[in-house]
Amino acid sequence: MAVADTTTRALLSPTIGVERSIRWARIRKRLVIGVPAAIVVLLFAACFVGPYVLPLPAPIGGDVLNSSRPPGTPGHPLGTDVNGNDVLSRLLHGGQASLIVAVAVNAIGLIVGGLIGALSAYLGGKADTIIMRALDVLIAFPSLVLTIAIAQVLGPSLPNTILALSAFSIPGVARVARSSTLRVTSMPFVQAAALGGSPWWRTLLFHIAPNVLPQLLNFAMLGMGIVIVTEGALSFLGLGIPAPAPSWGNMIYEGQQSLSATPLLVLWPSLALLLAVLSFNLLGENVRDEMSGR
Amino acid sequence: MSSVPVERAPAPPGEVRERAERGESPLGRLTGSPLVRLIVRRVLVAIPLLLAISVLVFVLLEAMPGDPARNQAGMDATEEEVEAVRKSMGLDRPAHERYLSWLFGALTGDLGRSSVSGLPVSQLLAERMPVTFELVFLAFVISLGIALPVAMLAARKPGGVFDRIVMVGSMTLLAVPNYVLALLLVIVFAVTLRMLPSIGFTPIEVGLWPNLQSVILPTLALAIPLGCFYARFLRGDLVEQMNSADYVDTARAKGLGPWRILWQHAFRNSSFGLLTIVGLNVGALVGGTVIIEQIFAMPGLGQLMLQGVGARDTAVVQICVFIFAAVAVFANLFVDVMYAVLDPRIRYGGR
Repeated sequence: MAVADTTTRALLSPTIGVERSIRWARIRKRLVIGVPAAIVVLLFAACFVGPYVLPLPAPIGGDVLNSSRPPGTPGHPLGTDVNGNDVLSRLLHGGQASLIVAVAVNAIGLIVGGLIGALSAYLGGKADTIIMRALDVLIAFPSLVLTIAIAQVLGPSLPNTILALSAFSIPGVARVARSSTLRVTSMPFVQAAALGGSPWWRTLLFHIAPNVLPQLLNFAMLGMGIVIVTEGALSFLGLGIPAPAPSWGNMIYEGQQSLSATPLLVLWPSLALLLAVLSFNLLGENVRDEMSGR
Repeated sequence: MSSVPVERAPAPPGEVRERAERGESPLGRLTGSPLVRLIVRRVLVAIPLLLAISVLVFVLLEAMPGDPARNQAGMDATEEEVEAVRKSMGLDRPAHERYLSWLFGALTGDLGRSSVSGLPVSQLLAERMPVTFELVFLAFVISLGIALPVAMLAARKPGGVFDRIVMVGSMTLLAVPNYVLALLLVIVFAVTLRMLPSIGFTPIEVGLWPNLQSVILPTLALAIPLGCFYARFLRGDLVEQMNSADYVDTARAKGLGPWRILWQHAFRNSSFGLLTIVGLNVGALVGGTVIIEQIFAMPGLGQLMLQGVGARDTAVVQICVFIFAAVAVFANLFVDVMYAVLDPRIRYGGR
């Protein structure tokens, strides 16, 4: 129905228009992945290179006498916060923390979750059932509640934030890894490898893993936004990156204290968060559509 | 109910799906009311899951730094006084014994006392739960109330102006964390327009309107991202149904109007997928109330939990975390059962 529709329309309209629309579709396909990818690269560059290239003051230890300056103050492009720290500098350093946490959590989730899921699917039987039931328990937990509890046990710090957030990224990845391993395991080349005398760990690592990885990487890409948001929530509650070190979450929290007087202090880290999450989400979704051939 | 072919229903979760794929009744050869048997079976699976969760929470609380007995006794208490408090709180007993006595107490309705306020935990829950329940319920209704019409309108003309606005708008709003959205709502409606209170909760006893006024902003902060998520999902599923399902062609051939096909045929099938997504997100929704209650100073369950976590109030935290997890577990159970109610294949078994 839909195919017939487009064909008729294509036949009725002038050829040039069709060619142009095909070319536009091709360009569009590249743009929807290229633009968010470029923004992600820019974000990383700004946060990890920016503070060392730009002439910015340190993100902490500001002068209280110099507090709450408006944007555009000489030396402080985005002004200063209530403690007299440079907002732009805090924004970039805070971004470092957010991005480090997001990358580390997803890397841990990918490796640990991927191994658990693949192993579970490959072993099958009792082991599979036990592992999946254990994951069910973790998945049933509201993730923010679980992370709050773990973060409180471990105490606020950057490595502990990573560990706490990993607890909820692992089960999801393990689920995806398990289902795609099951799919790959039934394929002829895996049986061929087993018949060829390849031990189980070798089959898993060299034959199954490379075929499961693209899907997992994409899942992790979609997970980046979620981790950044949850890290922000933890820091906002004072359980993530400990103040005075900046993170987007605790900057929003500090800004909230003087919301009516200086709403801009909440706006900047919120916008940074929005930009990061949006570009990671767009990238993940469009790569997924591309991979599934839509 | 009977005129709608359901061959394109998205896969139901877990056991129900596997059995449906094999063309079996979810209850095998057992006769009687299949629905009741299904519910019983799912509840029986949920019980060990809930027990495992309560053990996990207990272990987490055990691992928390700090000594509840010393907290309770006060800063300048002597060693002997702390020991006496420890004994009176039952903390000198081994962990598994304390867990079992907590479990037994919980099953018989005795949840212990808060070590901070000294009030019975059940009384605290009775005060706090209605607040969180109101938030979750309203957020749930509003998010679906936004998502359904928006997704329908967008799916009517995929790629049209409204569809594009919806897709771009929902993508952007989805990237806004609920705590940021909450602050933006406060800046606009409380600080700038002065229409609504920025924080606090007015109980419904004071009056319906003041109560609603105090919950509008927190509810919206929860409902808007959720509504966007549902709308995107439903719109995608509807478009897929309209493009590829045979029954849509049949309905078109019969001469049914586009709205009728969308509402009576495509939506009926898409509702299965939506139901799954909604069920899976109940956990995220109740989890979200923790931070929203904190921002708006709502005296709900989440706030109680956060206060308890800060003060090492184990009796309170244990039950709060457990309730959050249990709600998520039961939401999934409910979705599984709803599948059976909605899908005649599962209800009656066989095709």
